[in-house]
Amino acid sequence: MRVNPNQSTALIADMQQAQQTLATAVDQLSSNKRVSRPSDDAAAFAANLRSLAASAGVDRYTQNSSTVIARAQLADSALSSVVTSLTQAVTFGTEGASGSLTAANRSALAAQVQGVLDNVLAQANLTSGGMSLFSGTAAPDQAFTADPTATDGVRYNGNGGVNQTSIGDGLQVAVNVPGDQIFLSANGSVLGSLHQLVTALQGGSANDISTATVAVNSAIAHVGQQRVLYANTVSQADAQESFLSQETLSLTSQQTALTGIDFATAATNLTQAQTAHSAVLAAAAKVLPVSLLDYLK
Amino acid sequence: MLSLNASLSLASQALQAENGAIGITNNNIANVNTPGYSRQVVNLSAEAISQSGGSIGNGVAFGGYTSVRDQLLQISINTKTSQSGSLDTQTSALTQIQTAFSGTTSGIGAAMSTLFSTLSSLSSNPTDASARQSVLSSATQLANAFRQGSAALASAQTSADAQVVSTVAQINQLTKQIASLNGQLQTLTGSRQEGGSLQDQRDQLTAQLAQLTGISQTQTEGQPTLTTGNGSPLVVGDKAYALQVTTGPGNLQHVIDASGMDVTSSLSGGTLGGALTIRDTTVPGLLTGLNSLATQFASAINTAQGAGFDATGASGQPLFTTSATNPSATLSVALSGPSGIAVSSDGSSGSSGNLANLLAVGTSRLPSGQTPIDSYASLVASIGNSASQAAAGLTATNLSLSQLNSMQSATSGVSLDEESTNLIRYQQAYTAAAHVISTVNSLFSVVMNMSSGG
Repeated sequence: MRVNPNQSTALIADMQQAQQTLATAVDQLSSNKRVSRPSDDAAAFAANLRSLAASAGVDRYTQNSSTVIARAQLADSALSSVVTSLTQAVTFGTEGASGSLTAANRSALAAQVQGVLDNVLAQANLTSGGMSLFSGTAAPDQAFTADPTATDGVRYNGNGGVNQTSIGDGLQVAVNVPGDQIFLSANGSVLGSLHQLVTALQGGSANDISTATVAVNSAIAHVGQQRVLYANTVSQADAQESFLSQETLSLTSQQTALTGIDFATAATNLTQAQTAHSAVLAAAAKVLPVSLLDYLK
Repeated sequence: MLSLNASLSLASQALQAENGAIGITNNNIANVNTPGYSRQVVNLSAEAISQSGGSIGNGVAFGGYTSVRDQLLQISINTKTSQSGSLDTQTSALTQIQTAFSGTTSGIGAAMSTLFSTLSSLSSNPTDASARQSVLSSATQLANAFRQGSAALASAQTSADAQVVSTVAQINQLTKQIASLNGQLQTLTGSRQEGGSLQDQRDQLTAQLAQLTGISQTQTEGQPTLTTGNGSPLVVGDKAYALQVTTGPGNLQHVIDASGMDVTSSLSGGTLGGALTIRDTTVPGLLTGLNSLATQFASAINTAQGAGFDATGASGQPLFTTSATNPSATLSVALSGPSGIAVSSDGSSGSSGNLANLLAVGTSRLPSGQTPIDSYASLVASIGNSASQAAAGLTATNLSLSQLNSMQSATSGVSLDEESTNLIRYQQAYTAAAHVISTVNSLFSVVMNMSSGG
């Protein structure tokens, strides 16, 4: 059979092929990516999109965990301050219940307990990011406002709603505890007991002051119970954060496996491509100039 | 036994034959790099022994040349060329399309994630106006991403449509030229002459035609006939049958054959077939997927919005709006302000209870049976698969085509080594014939001298 006398066409095609392989190898090594566009590996590209969406989901959960922890810690810190204030009020109440005090002394104590009440009220009206920490799911300017006509001396402007936030697939934690549950509970009304103590100190009997002081003590116990709720949220979100950081690592590693290229493989591919390219060029240089005409001179 | 005159005549005939052979070799060398040129071989034959001439031959007869070509191989090349043309067009279009869907930090998938992230950030503080604005901005970005994806597909379709028009014009130009060459070839073959370079030109134009559309080559009543793959005539002998384009349904160009029949759907192969595949099959398929995702996603989000209450305590209104005819191209944000995001589940402005419904859209199955991101990933995978299949097909077809071209070159290509050798052979033969003439001339002189001396 006659041999193709025109080797140049085939050689040019081979050179282009080698050049293409070389360019691909350089591209993969420099970008450290095996899959840059869907056609490189459609299944891997699609799996990477899903993995990136999952990563974004994990980022959301991590963000939510951080926010909920910060919020819970802020609330817990406020409640800790409330407990300190209440303890102070108990001291004033115990002192006020003593039979040796004059009305003026009690009135002075009442003023001090009123100061405590104001502090507690300020804590109860604490906001985070412009939203009250203790107003449930309502968004009033202040969760509580002083109201002498109310039984507890304050009016609750919030509601009993609880917002939940997702910190994992199917895992939600409460962002808040409603303010009335903490500060106006029948099991120990923080604001009510302080109001009661102020009133008792201002004109009540020693017995009334003792009763009010006992109520303040109950309120301390109640606030302690409510703090447990926040502590639980923090502990749950903390644990979830650790899990989520593992999840992020795992997803990142999955994305690298799907679209990245092993350095050794990329380097080997480049060496092979360079060798193949050099071989084609060398072959072309050997074959193309040779002609019978060279020997007929 | 030959007379001196007969010998002289025979040698002169040899000189002419070798001269002709040198001319043909010269022509081969001159056309060594001419695309489509088929090498020509010299037809030399021994003259028949005349009855009166005894047993000595009558020299050489120069019978012109024959072009060496393999018609079956040419048909195979044309078939592969059509496949290559179609795949090349599809690869080129799909490469452009996939660019719009290659983003991992931008595009529809990333925009969906951003929308859910901004929504999620409202869970702790639903009243945060800037966080609400972020939701609205990310929803706008997602709508833009859908519109950009849709525009990329529409642009590919428009380009393919324009390609149909320009390709049909090129086809008509080529068929006209082929028909004209057929006419010239008929004249030549009528005078029993070899088609030679005219036939080469026709084969070359036919290959160019195959690059543009799938063709079928037959003979009708001895006339070379070219038809489209479905049998619509393009060239019959020296007559060309032009294709027409006309605006059809969807404002797209349809191809009409010479008999007035719409052959758009039956055309395949070549640039025209590739452009029609992209325009009528690939892009509509992808657009259906994108439209379905846009409609179902918008509907799911709007339903979740409807289940909640906005910042004013009013029932949630649709976040997205879209038209039924072309959803992905018309998707846009319907809410006029950030307060419209229906985060609340009970009407109180600080509630984030409805976020669960809004966020669930991201992880719940749409009516298509897939989650939004799965649905999008499948769409992108489908684009990637189409692009890689077309590219792989193109590589394989081009490899095959290269082998066929190599075989054709082996049959019809000019070898300079071969022609140089032939040149030497014919030169030597010419020199030898010239020597014969010189020798006969000497013999004539001897005979003349004999006569004068006697």
